[in-house]
Amino acid sequence: MIAVMPTVDGHMLDKEFFADQVEANLDRFYAHAILMTKNEACAEDLVAEGIAKAWKAVDSLQDATRFVPWVKRIMTNHFISEQRKASTKTRHIEYHEEFSEESEPFSLFEQLHQPFLLWWGNPEKEFLDDLLQKDIVAAFEALPENFRIAVLMADVEGLSYPEISDTLDVPVGTVRSRIARARSALQKQLWDHALEKGLVDQEGED
Amino acid sequence: MSEKPEKLACEQAIKMILEYLDNELTEHDHVAMNGHFETCRSCFSRMEFEKMLKDKISALPAKKAPDSLRNKIKKVTGKF
Repeated sequence: MIAVMPTVDGHMLDKEFFADQVEANLDRFYAHAILMTKNEACAEDLVAEGIAKAWKAVDSLQDATRFVPWVKRIMTNHFISEQRKASTKTRHIEYHEEFSEESEPFSLFEQLHQPFLLWWGNPEKEFLDDLLQKDIVAAFEALPENFRIAVLMADVEGLSYPEISDTLDVPVGTVRSRIARARSALQKQLWDHALEKGLVDQEGED
Repeated sequence: MSEKPEKLACEQAIKMILEYLDNELTEHDHVAMNGHFETCRSCFSRMEFEKMLKDKISALPAKKAPDSLRNKIKKVTGKF
């Protein structure tokens, strides 16, 4: 007998469909897990645990076309709850939740933009062209965890703020401020990195 | 004549650029931003820059799942 799971809207989701979907999207799940865990072994575990959880919760998948985001969300939730468990023991997680209105967000554009060069060059674009993917990954990985996850969900997953709020179980305002702060921190990281590597000249500064 | 949306100052526009790119502004604000970009080259360049950076982040690593994971998953799905 084949195990058949009915979903809420009446469609039947069977074991074969589930296994095929997992197989077809495994790279995407793994990439998501790498960005969350920053570690290949942990990423493997996260994918395996996430998929096992997803199967158990298959009743909650209301729309089979949303399989990938649904599994990613389960993985994200699993990762967060594991982190919370770990943090009550020894792990230190930075939570800078208060959004200080006075602190101006750091803007790479402001550092790079030179209005008088408008017609001769495009230093902002050149800067981005010189950035390697590994530079961005390094800056991304240096973010505190809750910020990294917020940017990951917004920029890599393309989720809306309400969807992120729903997944993380925090208010939309918190999502908004985390994303804003995360991007500011990310841009600061990239700027510092560029200065270190001599990708930009710092004129007239100490 | 249709009513013109109120003009945005650059300072306001800059604050909204990232949420504009995330499509998280109200329709009213989104339209006002579009209007601002038509007339303000500096804010338009800034928006383009932020968009390029966002696109770079969106394209973060497409790592392939290793065989060890594929095997592990087969064992998991095989048990169902």
